[in-house]
Amino acid sequence: MTANLEQPSEPVGTAPTATAPTARVLPPRAGVMSAAGSRLAAMLLGAACIAWTATPLLHTGLAQTALTVAIIAVVAGALRLALIDIPQPEDHFFLPGYLAAWLTFLAILRVLAWEETAVVAILWLEIQHPARPWHTAALGAALLAYLLTTHIAESGTRASTLLRRHAKLLIVGACLLALGAGFAMIPAASAGAGSAVLRVLAALAVIAATALVLPA
Amino acid sequence: MSPQNDSVLRPAATLGASSQVQAEEALINWRPSRHARRLVTLVAAALLMALLTRNPALAGVAAPPLLILGMARLGKGRPDRLGVRVGLTSTRMYEGEPVALDVSAADDSRDLRWVFHPGRGIEPGSAVAVNGPAARFTFEVPRWGKRGVGRVTLTLHDQWHLTEGRVSFTLPAVDCYPSPAVQRTEVVLSKLPNRLGEHRARVPGDGTEFTGIREFVPGDRQRAINWPASTRRGRLQVNTFAAERSQDVVLLVDATTDVGKPGESALDLGLRGTAGAARAYLNARDRVGVITYQWGGAHWLAPSLGRRQLYKIIDVLLNADTGYARGAVFSRLPRAALPPGALVVAFSPLLDGRFVEALRDMRERGFALIVVDVLNTEPPVRRRFADTAARRIWLMEQQAIRFSLRELGVPVVPWDGVIPLDLPLAPYTRRPLVTRR
Repeated sequence: MTANLEQPSEPVGTAPTATAPTARVLPPRAGVMSAAGSRLAAMLLGAACIAWTATPLLHTGLAQTALTVAIIAVVAGALRLALIDIPQPEDHFFLPGYLAAWLTFLAILRVLAWEETAVVAILWLEIQHPARPWHTAALGAALLAYLLTTHIAESGTRASTLLRRHAKLLIVGACLLALGAGFAMIPAASAGAGSAVLRVLAALAVIAATALVLPA
Repeated sequence: MSPQNDSVLRPAATLGASSQVQAEEALINWRPSRHARRLVTLVAAALLMALLTRNPALAGVAAPPLLILGMARLGKGRPDRLGVRVGLTSTRMYEGEPVALDVSAADDSRDLRWVFHPGRGIEPGSAVAVNGPAARFTFEVPRWGKRGVGRVTLTLHDQWHLTEGRVSFTLPAVDCYPSPAVQRTEVVLSKLPNRLGEHRARVPGDGTEFTGIREFVPGDRQRAINWPASTRRGRLQVNTFAAERSQDVVLLVDATTDVGKPGESALDLGLRGTAGAARAYLNARDRVGVITYQWGGAHWLAPSLGRRQLYKIIDVLLNADTGYARGAVFSRLPRAALPPGALVVAFSPLLDGRFVEALRDMRERGFALIVVDVLNTEPPVRRRFADTAARRIWLMEQQAIRFSLRELGVPVVPWDGVIPLDLPLAPYTRRPLVTRR
């Protein structure tokens, strides 16, 4: 490490004018709008996944529980994204009660895995319904979109760049989703649980084969 | 050479107007990203439920995230280390002066994200291009002192954003100088030492200021002859001029007590006043020294000339803090620290009895003293009789201290830190300060 020996300028300081040549200066307004947009999109996609899965409304205990958990998780995930820019102080000593409660609330929002909980709860809600292959396939696409949007919102990555890289995989994935739904619609060769499991294994084999064949 | 090491050897992105103060090869800590953990959860839940419910459509739900996770394994290698450079526009600044921090990494092939965690006493400003190989953050230090700037965390993502590497490094410390008070005039002693300078002395000499006319004596320079006066009087007359001398100024800072709001406390005002006075006297070609008085001793810097002396003085001031300090005993300061005949300008809230006694002692030893009173706070007003009485007693005691100093011939001028120092010192800058023993 080398310390430079320059002296400070006059006390009436002037703002540093030169910017790093490699730095891309983005208009701040655009940054704020894109961040708010991706967070709003994540929340709307989560709400859409719940609404898509919950209809028609089931009144069994497990379905109600899964629905409640999914709503709480999506709302908490949206709150986490909305409050992600609020810095957390390093010192927690001698804080007033309301401030300590607020910091605890922020910590709970940031520590718990809300999106994972929401995904599991939504899938659990989906299997409470009778089998509906195309509906489930659409839900799979929506869940993946929800997770991607959440990642874009929290990492600040440019959505266009990330989606361009994922485009080929997403197209293949959509085909596999349709294939899975198609497998589910094939009538069983014989009655019993064995043939249903066989169809699931066949779908998995197709997915695995595709993953192996697909070039890097 | 392995491809992992390429990024270390490649030159980092060019920094802006800042100077490089730190360059290191930081160790990258790779781990699955939160996005990857979410995709794994989706895959595991969908596959488990597909097998439980024997529904192939749920297996289809697991397909797209499984493909993305599979592709991540085929991605390019991850480097273990990354070359990181840090630059600051200045490592020394005055209070409230904005400083830019430039950080750059030697890898522009990955998605990078910079986060600045400011240290204590650092106020972050704007951030530019935090999602790129080079970023710029601005910050300012609102209060003087040696401050650690904080930390910078760099997050690297792979192509699919499924693994993330973290690099965290501590930024160097900076010195924040007290913002000097405005002072354009100087207090000048009536008796100046016999040393060439810029102050007009009472004795005749080779200066430029006219003082009178006297009769020519052999040895006088012919160019000093005043011809009109010689013609009138019939004898040769010569012009006389005042000598120009410099003085020794010792700035005395009372760092024993720090009362008041942080940023406007007595110590803050004392240091700002000292820095302003040091600059003013050094600009007038005086020799300026400083003594900081602390519990248990004093730090001192012998009077000297020049701009470098100003920064030496401010460096001494940065070490001033309330608390016990091991140093020279105040009553036994060497002659170099407190030269005889020096002008002593003290900045003090006059709350420490020992410091007041030291001032009285210096006055009795014949030093010309001026005290700038930097106490700008009072005990709070409360309704209880005991509190009110205590407050009145305290105020009377403060008035008595100032009165006793004035009786000894030590001027005490109050200064609130907002107005220029010239205003409270105006009665003493208009004419030379007469030193009486």
